[in-house]
Amino acid sequence: MTRTLQITRALITAGLLETLRRKDLYVVLILTLLLTLGASVFRVFGVQGLEIFVKDVALTAIGGMTTVLTVLIAARQIPEEMQRRTIYPLMARPITRAQLLFGKWATATFTASLCFIILALSTLALLQILGIGVKPIFAQYLVLKLLGIGWLCAMVVALSLYMTPAANVTLSLILAFGSGVFGRLLLMAHWEHDLGALWLNLLYGVLPHYDYFDMSKKVVFDWDLAPWWVLGAMAGYALLSGGMWLLVGWLRFRNQTIG
Amino acid sequence: MVVAYRRWLKPPFRAVDELSFVVREGEIVGFLGVNGAGKTSTIKVLMGFQVPAAGTVRIFGMDAADARARQLVGFLPETALYSPYLTPYETLRLYGELHGLPSRQLKAQIDTLLEAVKLSHKAHTLNKNLSKGMLQRVGIAQALLGNPKLLILDEVSSGLDPIGKRELRDLLANQRTHGATIFFSSHELAEVASICDRILIIHQGRLIAEHTLSDLAGRVESLEDYFIRTVQAGFDILDMGVNAA
Repeated sequence: MTRTLQITRALITAGLLETLRRKDLYVVLILTLLLTLGASVFRVFGVQGLEIFVKDVALTAIGGMTTVLTVLIAARQIPEEMQRRTIYPLMARPITRAQLLFGKWATATFTASLCFIILALSTLALLQILGIGVKPIFAQYLVLKLLGIGWLCAMVVALSLYMTPAANVTLSLILAFGSGVFGRLLLMAHWEHDLGALWLNLLYGVLPHYDYFDMSKKVVFDWDLAPWWVLGAMAGYALLSGGMWLLVGWLRFRNQTIG
Repeated sequence: MVVAYRRWLKPPFRAVDELSFVVREGEIVGFLGVNGAGKTSTIKVLMGFQVPAAGTVRIFGMDAADARARQLVGFLPETALYSPYLTPYETLRLYGELHGLPSRQLKAQIDTLLEAVKLSHKAHTLNKNLSKGMLQRVGIAQALLGNPKLLILDEVSSGLDPIGKRELRDLLANQRTHGATIFFSSHELAEVASICDRILIIHQGRLIAEHTLSDLAGRVESLEDYFIRTVQAGFDILDMGVNAA
């Protein structure tokens, strides 16, 4: 266990340095702040209910940018090592494939979480400067999003072992953004009771749900705190479902020819 | 050992076929063959990167796929582009930590190795700003981390200039005096002749010749000549009673 932690820490440190030296995070941060600032410009025209609009734009931007960044970070963890052939000196060390897979997932999760925290806190600071406050539910939003990032990284890292990086990024983004859309489609399908609705229900049950980890709208509309057991249940879902994704990845990776 | 690759609607391609050899402790063994002969496939199995279709590989008595076997092994891949966003120092620190080296010992080793591969002055320059030869030196340094008892080097001198090649020869000779066993593949036959005790020649996945250099001395004109004639014949010309000299 100590050895796994040591390996994970080493991989996280290197991964973090790489991410901070790339430009992705800074571009995303600037874009998010610009979007929030842009939305607040409507104040000049005396539009009513502007706080809700600005918060909505800010949280949508944070959510969207975080998802893209998370998918990109997680998708490159193992394929990039293979492409650069640095997987050889990595695997030449006394580490197991399971330890490497776990370490890479942890690296993606930690790095993407840090990016999200930077984005969220910078945007929160900007909202405060603009005189727009958020309720304590924002803390729950952060916790849930961090759980979602861990879960999403598990899915993307696992898929990266089965498909090309481009296919993985495309499919992961469709699943991440599409899960929310699919939920809305299902709501519409509930109005009907035909075979199509049954299929949609089945599909809804089978497909992964990143949308479960998003409570941005509740922050926008200043909801009260959600019961903590709900977050506990979501943590359970993230642990089980994320663990299953990592297992799926390991089943492929354990005997895969490296290079 | 047999290494086979599955092919769509075709029988598997045997990249390595019935290969069997032993490397004794303290030896320097050159693994020779033309491109596509099966050298890299063999090395992949030795390092546990690939599961052999048949046979077993044991390193210090342990299965090559066992992570513990790699505790005593240093490996240099043919070409590796070390992370462009890390410096040589950080790259070595990563591999050293993965190796399980204690922090103080690791720091001392990194300094010594960077000095040995003449890269101290670039220790904190990002890898993306280093030349191919310098990256190969980073690779050599990472292979030597942890004082391995066995070094497996794939195309070790690839990308090095003549000075770098000489320094590498000295470095390997130094490793040998410290008791390391070295198994390496190379196309540089002069280099092989200057440092090896024994050579193995692989052709189309099969081991076709195995000699000590002292055994070859006087019987062949040069290692290069012997290698080319053996590979062209597809069998060991010395075994057939052909006087190659």
